[in-house]
Amino acid sequence: MAEMVLQQPLRADGKEPNFLQKFGYGFVHGDIFTKLSFLIWGLGYIGHGQLIKAILVTLVQGLGLYYLGVAGIPNLMKFGTLGTVQMEMVFNPVTFKNEVNDYDNSFAILLLSIIAMVVIVAMLAAAMAVVASNYHLQMIRKAGGKTNSFAQDVRVYLNEKFYITLLTLPVLGVVVFTIVPLFILIAVAFTNYDQQHMPPNSLFTWVGLANFFTLFGGGQSLSLTFGYAFGKVLVWTLVWAFFATFTNFFGGVFLAMFINDKKTKFPKLWRTLFVITIAVPQFVTLLLVRNFFGDNGIFNTMMSQIGVTDLLHNIGLLSPNMDYIPFLTSNGWAQVMIILINIWVGVPYQMLIATGVLMNIPGDMLEAARIDGANPVQMFFRIKLPYLLSVQGPSLVTDFVKNINNFNVIYLLTQDVYVTADQAMASSSAKEVDLLVTWLFRLTQEQYNYKMAAVIGIMVFIICAVFTVVCFRFINKKEATFS
Amino acid sequence: MTQTMSIDIKKELRKGKINRGIRSTIRHLILLVLAAVWLVPIVWLVATSFSGYRGINFTTFFPESYTLDNYTNVLFHPDSVAQFPQWFVNTLVVAIFNCIISTCFVLMVAYAFSCCRFKSRRLLQNLSVTVNLFPGVLAMIAVYFVLRYLDLTNSYAGLIMVYAGSSGLGYLICKGFFDTVPASLREAAKLDGASEARIFLQVVIPMSRPILVYTIINSFMMPWTDFVMAKMILNSGVSSDWTVAIGLYNMLSRTLVNNYFALFCAGGVLVSIPISVLFVIMQKFYVEGITSGADKG
Amino acid sequence: MKKQLSLAMAAAMALSLAACGGSGTSSASSTAEASTDSTATSEASGEAANWGDVTLTMWGAEEDQTMLREMADAFIEENKDKGNITINIGACSEADAKDNVLTDPTAAADVYAFADDQLNELVAAGALQEVTLNADDVKSRNLEGSVEAASLNGKLYAYPMTADNGYFLYYDSSVITPEDAETVDGILAAAAAAGRTFDMTLNDGWYIYSFFAGAGLEATLAEDGVNTVCNWNEEPGADVAQAVMDIASNSAFVSAPDADIVSGIKNGTVCAAVSGTWNATVAQETWGDNYAATKLPTYTMNGEQVQMGSFAGYKLVGVNPHSQNVGVAMMLADYITNEANQQKRFEDRNLGPSNINVNASDAVQSAPAIAALAAQSEFSDLQRVGANYWDPAASLGQILQSGDTQGKTTQQLVDDAVAGITAPVAQ
Repeated sequence: MAEMVLQQPLRADGKEPNFLQKFGYGFVHGDIFTKLSFLIWGLGYIGHGQLIKAILVTLVQGLGLYYLGVAGIPNLMKFGTLGTVQMEMVFNPVTFKNEVNDYDNSFAILLLSIIAMVVIVAMLAAAMAVVASNYHLQMIRKAGGKTNSFAQDVRVYLNEKFYITLLTLPVLGVVVFTIVPLFILIAVAFTNYDQQHMPPNSLFTWVGLANFFTLFGGGQSLSLTFGYAFGKVLVWTLVWAFFATFTNFFGGVFLAMFINDKKTKFPKLWRTLFVITIAVPQFVTLLLVRNFFGDNGIFNTMMSQIGVTDLLHNIGLLSPNMDYIPFLTSNGWAQVMIILINIWVGVPYQMLIATGVLMNIPGDMLEAARIDGANPVQMFFRIKLPYLLSVQGPSLVTDFVKNINNFNVIYLLTQDVYVTADQAMASSSAKEVDLLVTWLFRLTQEQYNYKMAAVIGIMVFIICAVFTVVCFRFINKKEATFS
Repeated sequence: MTQTMSIDIKKELRKGKINRGIRSTIRHLILLVLAAVWLVPIVWLVATSFSGYRGINFTTFFPESYTLDNYTNVLFHPDSVAQFPQWFVNTLVVAIFNCIISTCFVLMVAYAFSCCRFKSRRLLQNLSVTVNLFPGVLAMIAVYFVLRYLDLTNSYAGLIMVYAGSSGLGYLICKGFFDTVPASLREAAKLDGASEARIFLQVVIPMSRPILVYTIINSFMMPWTDFVMAKMILNSGVSSDWTVAIGLYNMLSRTLVNNYFALFCAGGVLVSIPISVLFVIMQKFYVEGITSGADKG
Repeated sequence: MKKQLSLAMAAAMALSLAACGGSGTSSASSTAEASTDSTATSEASGEAANWGDVTLTMWGAEEDQTMLREMADAFIEENKDKGNITINIGACSEADAKDNVLTDPTAAADVYAFADDQLNELVAAGALQEVTLNADDVKSRNLEGSVEAASLNGKLYAYPMTADNGYFLYYDSSVITPEDAETVDGILAAAAAAGRTFDMTLNDGWYIYSFFAGAGLEATLAEDGVNTVCNWNEEPGADVAQAVMDIASNSAFVSAPDADIVSGIKNGTVCAAVSGTWNATVAQETWGDNYAATKLPTYTMNGEQVQMGSFAGYKLVGVNPHSQNVGVAMMLADYITNEANQQKRFEDRNLGPSNINVNASDAVQSAPAIAALAAQSEFSDLQRVGANYWDPAASLGQILQSGDTQGKTTQQLVDDAVAGITAPVAQ
């Protein structure tokens, strides 16, 4: 088999050569087929006796080149300006249709250029891999060996290279539906894509770092409030993420311990009661709860009936000209309620997890502690909590990041209900209860301010990335990756 | 002497029993209160779904009159706003396909990262975590335009591709589970001449029932709960094209809420029933799935 | 052969992308020959006698779906000799039209209904076709105000559909006498006496406008068609703010969103409300013969009575210029807003017509809501504000409603609001 053939060690230190070195060596030392395979992938394989492979790779290359030729390159040429020809439409009364000039669509140019770049990079890498693999084949043949038949190759992809078979489709999906959109939006942060520059009717173009200056309060009139709003929203985002993560975690742990205690009867029944709330889709419960706690909603009616509203008036928690409790409509109240409602949403889920983790605590550890005379509180702090944290530490970090991006809870509870009383924030379409993500969502949906949304999105990423890296370094000193 | 002692002991014992009894009552009372708090919104949901009044009831917790009309309307008399049966079918189709594709993707990625050894493994893993840090709502508009250039907006295929396309990124918990599968098992199978593919399909997967259930439930539930992405992609405005989530969300829009709130509740209950059944039955596996995955992080 | 499989997929994707073409090139570019004069084209409307196969999508409010279907079918029937027409009807309330259209105008419906305040943004985004067929007829058959609402810079961009999208006062005449209804003070006193409330949404730019406009202050679109001009911080803006706060602090006054007003009317706590026709039906059903509607009341500012102003509201039908069949789409929009269909709209859904003839009919004139809007029209302005108007105005309303001025004077409040409203949209 192929592996039997010895390849000259390419590196003096005896380590396996890296991808680039392999390619370079193969390209320099390869025969004509190997060299040509860089340009036309199939040629090398034909020369080295692998016909089916040759056809397949050439087909792939052809498709790639076809895309570049038809859409990629023409758009890449306009990438510098993002288009110059404005759309013009004229109604033709004879055909009864609008006639459109050959206009540029900035967004299409951006999108197709970025796809073209991805395709070019992928094709270059593939071409280099093809050369390396052809050089390998050439060496095998030189040594008198036999190159793999197609069937043998397929077998390799089910064995040593099985991971390629496994990862191809998922990676492709991620590239198309996550990576490419991300690249596009990172690019948008450096353009003036907003309501005044919306394709297809208008063009947008590069503006450099101007949007970042706006966010940090440089220059023009609105940027002052943008900087202010960003600061406030950021603080609340972090406060929210902290409380949402830890209230849920501890709430779940305590509930789990409470239910799983030997003294509790029918633990399964209790657990099921709580779990039912997970089964109702989140948007249903959240919209429901929003109406439940409405200013004139049922809960307010009950509160005033049993006198709580008056009580709050009397102790000064509620200003006298409010005849309802502004659960979700006033600064302060709304934040507390959102965190409480989030406990309601998240604790049953955490309870399930904690139940499982607690069951996994080695029994002898607990037994030993009990013999040593540890009381339940000590047992919790000395054994259970450290164990829980060691197991769930990483997932706490990811939960924190998820909560920073927790769109559903905030959006569904406050959209159309909460009106900010902070005029500086209102000028930037932000609210005190907004997370960065809900703010950027509303900027795109209501203001079409894609450029600022993209800038905020990048900020969110930076915050999450820094937080994650720091935490994982701290938690997991042995393994410096965050996997 | 002995008699008094035994009486004392009995007294003590009885006292302890009573104490225990009180404590146990308190314990269960607390649980009862907590459970009540957790169930109030659910009870309100169910009660309102039987309400004779179609709008939001602001004055009483329980409706003043009860009727089954909301259910019969939602199920058998679709109008231009509420086409529940059609939505249910749409969502089911999306859910099933998403479930199949996502589950495959998650298992494939998790297996590759957990059991295969290759050079770019760490790099890819780190990349996947990094990508996950970007807020998804931001990329939505770009995802929409990617779909538009593929001519897949307003189609369930497009929606399924969006849901399932990036699902590979959610491999972490599943990988954690695969990490717990003893390497010796795979080794033994290899010695028997099994290929990696065969090991994956015939050794590891059959052992992974909890994580399978977990992944299936998660991916199955996605289309029932997401309305943001769905609303963006299924933008023809034709209400029979919608999924359950868009439809129900739409019922609460300003102009409709006063006539459709009870219907919304009925729809919410109907969606929850299959999910709760699934959940209660699968609860054990589900817990095992998450925790075994979480064990390794 | 690394990654070949993935490349195959990438390439397949690339192919389909390529097939969809590069930039947004579409049909022929010989625009020069085409007639550009709108009056000339309106005469040519009869020319395209054969439409061929035409599929159109039309968006309208959820409640209108059945009626729209009937109208669409009638249109198909009427034009079956000209072409094979299919019309799909989608649900999208007039208030949300902008949000759904602007995300991607090329994917939006061919014909859609929207509220007139969205006109300038839709035109700016190129999502409205200038009316080039039959424009003069459209202008002449509809009320002047509605035509104005459908026009921008002298060009007609939409077909007026209803003239009842403004707000007015309705009340339960068993509690409030017509004299009471003339002033906010009178309404509040009567409501308090009956233990009921007077409701209005204050934390909404649409309604809060009424107090400032009444005092002669303005908020309107700037010359550039994008930004907003606003002078609420000039005299007597601060006093208006104080007057609103005084009203809000009255125990008989409740600032509530629409849904709450409706249920308040239903359960009997509300006896008067400032809102639109969409909630008036509920009031009419609940109060029965006691239902009364009139123009907005006056309010007390510095001891003087000031008549509340308002936004005049119209619902319009627009045609999407990205439609493949713009001509037929215009014909359809024209058709569903013609006299007969406005009559039908009034009969089926009680919607106030913008058509002059229908509006003049006895049935329409005797509808209380429409009479009230007609009485209010004298004090109402066209809704033309920029995108930055809404959030700061709503925020001002929220502050005045809560009474918590955060330590600012009323002058500072209106100053800050104006700063937000007039902040340039384009940066």
